[in-house]
Parts: sequence; C-alpha cells; structure tokens
Amino acid sequence: MPSATINKHRPSELLSRLASDEPELKVRALRELKNQIIGNPTKKLSFLKLGAVPAVAGILADSIDEVTDNNNCNGNTSNILVQSAAALGSFACGFDAGVQAVLDAGAFPNLLRLLANPNEKVIDAGARALRMIYQSKLAPKYDFLQQKNMDFLISLLNSEKENVSGLGASIITRSCETCLEQKALFDAGILRKLSGLLEGGSLSQRDASLESLATIFRNNPEVISKFAGPEIGRPLSSIIDLAKDRYPRTRLLACMCLIVIRNASPHFLQDIGIKTKIIHILLELLDDPGQVGDEAPFAFSSLIAQKEDLQKLALEANAIDKLHHHLKKGSLHPRRYKGILLALADMCSKLESCRSKFLSLQVLNLVADALTDHNAGVRTAACVCLKSVTRSIKNLSAGYFMNEIIVIPLVQLFLDPSTSVQVAALGAVSNIMVDFTTRKSIFVQCGGMKQLVQLAKSMESAVRSNALWALKNLVFQADNRLKEGVFSELTASLLSSLISDPEPSVQEQALALVRNLVDGCINLIELVFAEDGYILGAIGRQLQCASKAEIGIQGMYALCNVASGNEFHKEAVIQQLFTQMGDKNQSFVIKFLQSNDSQLRTATVWTIVNLTCPSSPGAPGRLEKLRNAGIISQIKNMVNDPCVDVKLRVRTVLGQSMAFGDN
Amino acid sequence: MPVRVTESSTPSQVSGTNSGDTAPPACTLLSVGQTFSGTQNVSSLQKEEAWRVNVRIQGCDLEHGYLCGTMEALNVPMADTPVVTFWEGEIVDTKNYTFYTGKWEASPEDDKRHWTKFPSFSPLLSQVEVDGGKSLDLSNYPYIFMRWKEQYFVNVGTDCGLTIAGFYYVCFSCSDGSISGFYYDPNSSPFQKLELKSTNEGRSGFSFSTYELQ
Repeated sequence: MPSATINKHRPSELLSRLASDEPELKVRALRELKNQIIGNPTKKLSFLKLGAVPAVAGILADSIDEVTDNNNCNGNTSNILVQSAAALGSFACGFDAGVQAVLDAGAFPNLLRLLANPNEKVIDAGARALRMIYQSKLAPKYDFLQQKNMDFLISLLNSEKENVSGLGASIITRSCETCLEQKALFDAGILRKLSGLLEGGSLSQRDASLESLATIFRNNPEVISKFAGPEIGRPLSSIIDLAKDRYPRTRLLACMCLIVIRNASPHFLQDIGIKTKIIHILLELLDDPGQVGDEAPFAFSSLIAQKEDLQKLALEANAIDKLHHHLKKGSLHPRRYKGILLALADMCSKLESCRSKFLSLQVLNLVADALTDHNAGVRTAACVCLKSVTRSIKNLSAGYFMNEIIVIPLVQLFLDPSTSVQVAALGAVSNIMVDFTTRKSIFVQCGGMKQLVQLAKSMESAVRSNALWALKNLVFQADNRLKEGVFSELTASLLSSLISDPEPSVQEQALALVRNLVDGCINLIELVFAEDGYILGAIGRQLQCASKAEIGIQGMYALCNVASGNEFHKEAVIQQLFTQMGDKNQSFVIKFLQSNDSQLRTATVWTIVNLTCPSSPGAPGRLEKLRNAGIISQIKNMVNDPCVDVKLRVRTVLGQSMAFGDN
Repeated sequence: MPVRVTESSTPSQVSGTNSGDTAPPACTLLSVGQTFSGTQNVSSLQKEEAWRVNVRIQGCDLEHGYLCGTMEALNVPMADTPVVTFWEGEIVDTKNYTFYTGKWEASPEDDKRHWTKFPSFSPLLSQVEVDGGKSLDLSNYPYIFMRWKEQYFVNVGTDCGLTIAGFYYVCFSCSDGSISGFYYDPNSSPFQKLELKSTNEGRSGFSFSTYELQ
C-alpha cells in the first residue's frame, strides 16, 4: 500500500517552509526558491500563482522592521534580507508579471531601505533587486526633480559598488522623460559621473551608463552640445570606442547612444567613416542569437529612417543582402522577425536603388509569407515593408505587385482583429492599387473592392480613411466599368456621407475619390448627378466649411473635373459656388483664391478656367456671375502670383474673360 | 512649338547667398494622369514619315527630379498593334540633373546641339556653357527641360524590330502643356522631332486625377 511522502521539491511545500520560524530553514527555503526560478519564466509564473511574491515580500518587511526596531542586524537576519531581496530580484528579472507582483506586494520601498543597511551584502542584494525592477517599463518613475531625490541619485552614482551605481543609471533610463528632466540631470553634473563610469567602470556599469546617456540625450541637442563640448572632455570618443567593444551588448548600446546623438544633432558624427562603421557593427550584431540580435534591427532602423544618405551607405554595406539572409533562416523570434521587416521597410522607403536590390533578391516572397504569421506585430511589419517597396512607380507600371501571392493575403488582413494590422494592410494595398496595367481586375475578383467599401463604413476613422485612399488609387485612370462598379458598390448616399464625415482625413479621401471617379470619359461625370445630385451638394457644403487646405484642394479638383463637362455640368458647378455662401455672403471661392496654399489657389483657378471656357455657349453668363461675386476682380489681383502655375492659369482666365469683352 | 512667355521668362543666375529652391516650378499640366498626343517625325533621306504618339504621365517626384510614363506609337509600319514603351525622365532641376547628360553616348556638344533647337533654351545657353546650368534659377521659368529614356516595351517583345536605345531631349511649356522633343540615338536618324499637345478626352476643359503613395 502506498504511503504518503513529503515531496520536498513541490512548490507548495517550498512555500510552507518559507513560513518557518527557524531562520536557517527560512534562509534555505528562500535560496531554494531563488535557484528554482532563476532564468525560468515557467517556474516564476507557477510560484507567482501560488502567492510566493507576497510571502517573500512579507519576510523582507518583517526582517527589515526587526533590524530597525532592535537597531541590530545579526547574521541570520542579514542572510534573510539578502536571500529575500535576491528572490524578489529574480522574480523581477526580465519578467514583467514578476515586476508587477513585487510592486503590488509593496516590496519596493523596503528594497530601497536596504540600501541604507550597514551590511554590504544586503546593500548589494537590494540594489540588484531594484536594478531588475528598473529594467522593466513597469518600474515606478523616480522624481529626481525633488532635490533630496536628486541627492540620493547622485549618492547612488557615486557608489563604488557596481550594483548601486548601476541602479542609479537604470533609474535615470526609466525615469527621465522630459526636456526639463534631461536638463536637471545635466545641471546636477550627472553626465560627468556617467562619463566616469564609461571610462573606468565595469562592464555592467558601462552598459548602464550608455543607456542612461542615450536617455538624457534623446531629442535634446542642447544637452548633447554641452556633453560633446570641451567642458566634459572626451566622452564622445569614449562612446565611439565602446561601439567597437568586444561585448556585443556594449557595442549595441554604444551604437544606440551614437544614433540618438546623431538624430538629435545631425552636425555631430558627420564623418562618413563613423556612419559606415555603425552600419557595419549593427549588421554584424544581427548574428547575435540573443536579445542583442533581436534589438539590432531596431537600432539600424532608427539610424537610417528618413535619411537617404545613410540608406545609400547601408545599401553599399550590403544591408539588404544581410537582412534577407537572416529573414531566409526562418523560425525567427517575433521581435527579431518584426525588426528585420521594419529595417527592410526603412531601407526601401526612399531610394529606388534599394527597392531594385530588394526585388532582385526576391525578398518579396519572404515578406508575403510574413503576412500570414501568427504574431500581429510581424503581420503589421510585413505590411509596412510592402508599403515601402510598392512605392516603386517603375514596378507599379509593370504591374509587378498585382498578383495573387501578394494581393490575396493582404485582402485577408482587411478582416484582421487588430486595427493596426488592418491599417497597415490598407496602406500597402493603396500603393498596389496604383497599377497601370490591366490587372486591377485581380483585386476586384478576389473580393478586395467590395471589402474596401465595407471598411469605408468602419467605426475606426483610420480604417475608413485608408479604405477610401485605396479606392481612390484603384479608380485612378481605371476603365469605365471598374469605376461604375466601385460607384454602384459604394452608392451615392454612402459617398455623400463620407464627404461629410466628422474626420477631416476621411473627407479629404472621399473628395479625392470623387475627383478620380469623374475624370476620364465624359460620361463618368454623370455619377455625381445620381440621386438628385446629392454628391455635388455634399461637396459644396464641405467646401464651405473646409477645415484644412487639403480638403479644399480635393473638393475643388472634383468640381473642376465636373466643370470640364458639358453646359449642364458647368451650370451645376457654378450653382454650387454660389448656393453655399458663408460669412459676409461671400463664396468660398474668394477664400480659396486668397489662401496661402498655392495648390488650393491652382485648383480653384482651374475650375474658373473650365467654367469660362470660350467654346461653351453659357460662358458669358457664368462669367457675369463670377464678376458680380467679385471673383474675377480677385483673379485680376493674382496676375503676379508667386506660384508660376497659378500665374499662368490666371492669365488663361483673364484671356478668356477678355474674349467676352471684359477688360 | 510652345509660345514664349517673354515677361519674367529670363531665368536669373543664382547668387552665392541664394539658398532657395532653384528647380523648375511644379505644373499641373505635367502631373500624374495627364495625357498628350501628337507625332514623332521619323523621316529619313529616303522617305517622309511620322508616327502618331500618345503619352501618359504615370509618376512624378520633383524632389528627385524624376518623371515617368508611357509612350504609345500608333502607326508603326513594322508592328501590328500600337507599340507601348515605359520611359523614365530626368528633370533638369540643377540639383539632381543638369543640362549635360553625361551618359547614353551624349557628349556636351550633342547636348548643346539638341537643347539649342528649343527657342526657349536660348536665354540659358551662355550659363549652360559655363557650368551645365548648375547655377541657373529655373524656379520662375515657364519651361521645363527633361530627358526621357525609354526603359522597356510594355506590350511587345524586344524582337519587334524597334529600338529604344536612344533618348529624348524634351521641353515642356507650362503655359499650354505642349511638349517638344528630339530623339537622340547615334545609330538612328538625327533630330527626330516629337510634338505633343495636352489632351482633354473630349471634354470642354481640363480634368485632373490623382493618386498618392503611402
């Protein structure tokens, strides 16, 4: 018959031993707990569920009170303090749920109190646990703008103990957010101390210092110029040296610090050799199998994003080949997978030479695979990457992207549960829709057009706006059949309500869609007259209250295109110009002609050109109305408009006006 | 040929302190979706011949001095169907590109010989001879000079018996959207003239469509 035995390794049994009154047993149990959970998130989670963290936090609190009450810290108590702090630190290490549990258990202030303990081992254990907490974004913000807190921070940084000064640096990394805080740290002489750690500190002190420095420099050219100036010495060159350090993490952190400096103050690190070196280092760091390799593509992106010169250097350094090589490996950690896709996106965001390289290596198929990844961040990154590559007009003209391998998975993402995936997929599709071949039907046949119309009714304005954007590009230069198909799916009433949407970006895209629908064959103009000209009325009303120039531009081009039709069309447009009168009984046309935006002035003058076209019989009557409304005299004031395009169209209007006897 | 706008049409030379944009102006008649039609004279010593040509602008990136589109030649004798080619253009904007081609077998002498065929180029000649036109301020000049280079055949194979080895020197008039061009290929008849006018697809006025890349 089996007998009951006590399994000393069962978590619940271990927890019961933590409650022992016997100090030695307690210390042993704490040590055992710590050893079991180190580097093991599964174990951490199972102990977390059993309530181990509040239990350990309670032991810490009791022991620390005992020390305070008796003013005495004997060997057993010290051991308990060290082991309980170490266990709490292990729970918090690289595990946000653990950090949250430690904070919820109220252990944070007690861990801080350990730093005042006379026993060095206790101080070290407390500092280490706090550092683990400060590795996480959940760490409490430390308000060092208060003088006493700043003094405490300085005392931490002054410490010769590695974990204590490292804690000081970590606190800065997590707590410094504003310009004011960056300045306060600089004024308190913190940079000098961090620089000291860079040059004379241990590996972990150097790394912590690099992270803190990057935090203090971020978007703050003033602090950077003081740091790099003669006042401090040679810290910039120290960071450059550390970018070549033998430890991968140090190289990564030094590069990130240099990138922050370069992005905030482009006049630093102009040397092409340094820029190339950073690119090479980051590309090499992709080979690191751990966290450093996961983070390297993000650092690379922040270096090259929006900067053509650096993208060019990176292309020369074979960045696309290397990123492709890593992407090909497969089974990537989601963070790394996402990072590589975003790095490729940044590489292909501006330069056609990069896109050509990307396409010649056939990276496109690998990115298409990522569209169906189980991780939403990876799917979004794949869409962003496609969005960048599909900016290539040359390849759009060849119909290169309009194929089932790309389009079908993208259309499937329209129904993705994540809004950010939906928006990113719509962004990529918007570009692919600018196809100059006859392949737009592929998209329609796979149900993409109907789904775009459904998304134009989404509750999310970003989804509505992007769906309309894609439809606008789809109907650009499309044949009549496709345009009529889109219109009948959308309906005049939906399109009118989108023109009047509360969100300006939606209004703009809806107006641009109408603009494209009525371009091309003259018969298409009739679309805006469906349902008693409801759409035309919506355009007129929106123009009267347009909140930004872009809405005016798209709306005026929609009217301009309608006004390029027959007499009936032109009359309907002029009616809109005068039906919708605003303040001072003035047409919005005057306001647009006086706008600072030259594109809005251009669109408006083009509309007047079309309305007064000498070949149309009703032109004299319309000219009379425009003259009476003060529009012609406003146009006369624009003969020397600073924009050449406007000036030339103004001359056309005045030439046409003179043809009817105006002078 | 384009009518010259005499007033304020003489481009100035950029002074050392001028840091503003000296690129030619943006022009709605040269924007995406705009179409043009006309002829290309391909006459040789043996016979007079002109092909009807349609052009459509498909891409325009002024920041990089880039323009692209398609060119459709309609009554090409050796082809059964209209022949469509895709071309890419370099806008002479003094920043990305100057009047000197520096490639495609075109020497500075070839460049000058072609550019001077456009009347609107004559005010620029002296400065172009100095530095290729790098220091010209074209921001108020109502003409845009370009080179169009055909890149591939869209609807026929490379065995169609036609060549796209050469390129066009092009002058666009911002005022009426007319285009003049001269085809240059050392192995083809010299100075084949391209003449195009802005088209409006049966409309009584101008229509403008648009697309935007994200």
